[in-house]
Amino acid sequence: LVERAREGDGRAFRTLYDMNVDRIYRLAYRMAGEEDLAMDFTQEAFVRAYQRLDQFRGDAAFSTWLHSITVSVALNGLRKVDRHRKRERPLEDAARSVPRAKSTDPGVRERIEGAVDDLPEIYRAVFLMHDLEGFSHGEIAETLGVAEGTSKARLSRARAKLRESLGDAMQEYV
Amino acid sequence: MGDERFDALLDRVRETYHAPPETPREEMWRVLSQRMREPVPQDDATPVIDLTAARARRGVVKRRMAWASVAAAALVVLGIGIGRLTAPGVVTGPMATTRPADRAPASGQAALRLVANEHLGRSESLLTMVRADARDGSLSPGTARWARDLLLETRLLMDARSGEDREIRALLEDLELVLAQIVGVTEGGTTDGSRARTELDLAVRGLENGEMLSRIQAAIPAGHAGA
Repeated sequence: LVERAREGDGRAFRTLYDMNVDRIYRLAYRMAGEEDLAMDFTQEAFVRAYQRLDQFRGDAAFSTWLHSITVSVALNGLRKVDRHRKRERPLEDAARSVPRAKSTDPGVRERIEGAVDDLPEIYRAVFLMHDLEGFSHGEIAETLGVAEGTSKARLSRARAKLRESLGDAMQEYV
Repeated sequence: MGDERFDALLDRVRETYHAPPETPREEMWRVLSQRMREPVPQDDATPVIDLTAARARRGVVKRRMAWASVAAAALVVLGIGIGRLTAPGVVTGPMATTRPADRAPASGQAALRLVANEHLGRSESLLTMVRADARDGSLSPGTARWARDLLLETRLLMDARSGEDREIRALLEDLELVLAQIVGVTEGGTTDGSRARTELDLAVRGLENGEMLSRIQAAIPAGHAGA
């Protein structure tokens, strides 16, 4: 299929798209948390893959290569979004005449989301891939270009940080 | 929180955290197929990172920086050696035969702190270089080797200081992670540009998110310059 797509066979690329798009979109959505961003990242990943098919050497599975591109696109994209939001925030704050009341008791779901969001990016990517999307350490290692041991260590640290930040407050939740 | 409780929590996270809706497969394909017909922009047609070209562009500067770093490291080592030999109260000879158990705990801590400061100084220099490397999109082989050495030292220090000085310990733990990340950029000898770039991006993000450089600078007393 890759060979046919490389030769310009659009149907072959559509098949590759159909075979991979669900998993790619799910990963992009887990990383972005917004539908528009997830769609942008997914499309960008496929466009880049299409444009660089001649660089795919076949050392790894096509899906692994595609996931690697997706993670790269998502991380760069999120970094740009972060920068943009940081620039906008001072203007929004200045425009706001009355400060918003700070919630003293955020819901448990918000606390969990906050704790995952607060994970350093290197932990969060592995945590999302392994614990939420079911990737094996071997797949993560190939996607991120690290050793399996590194992937395991990052997951362990991510879980430890989550335990630490959620702590006993979660007892009532589960 | 016990393991069962944490597993149950993970189940909830799986259900709720950025839970993906159904894939908008056709909607995305419409946009995608249109973009596939467009001519490939020159920038996008190139690899995410062309290591050879990037190295060639910065070749002279990098060589100078590498030599400057080696020279600076040698100077610091020389300075520390002279300082130790000439510092008042330092006794050579018989002191060297004193068993570790006989030493006062305070002096052991002070020595460890001194070593940690030197280590943090060198780490600060490395991280600054990594940040500069990241702007070019790749790590020089020298930087990766240096990171590997510092990672080993960090782990040794972590073992040596276990249970003491929680602030330094937390800093060393975070430093270990960032260094492991930097080593990971070249781990497995990856020649895949996009992977190396992703890994380098992750390393720099870890460095920035953890505010490593400012924390290291805050932890090093005045007078301990990085190599």
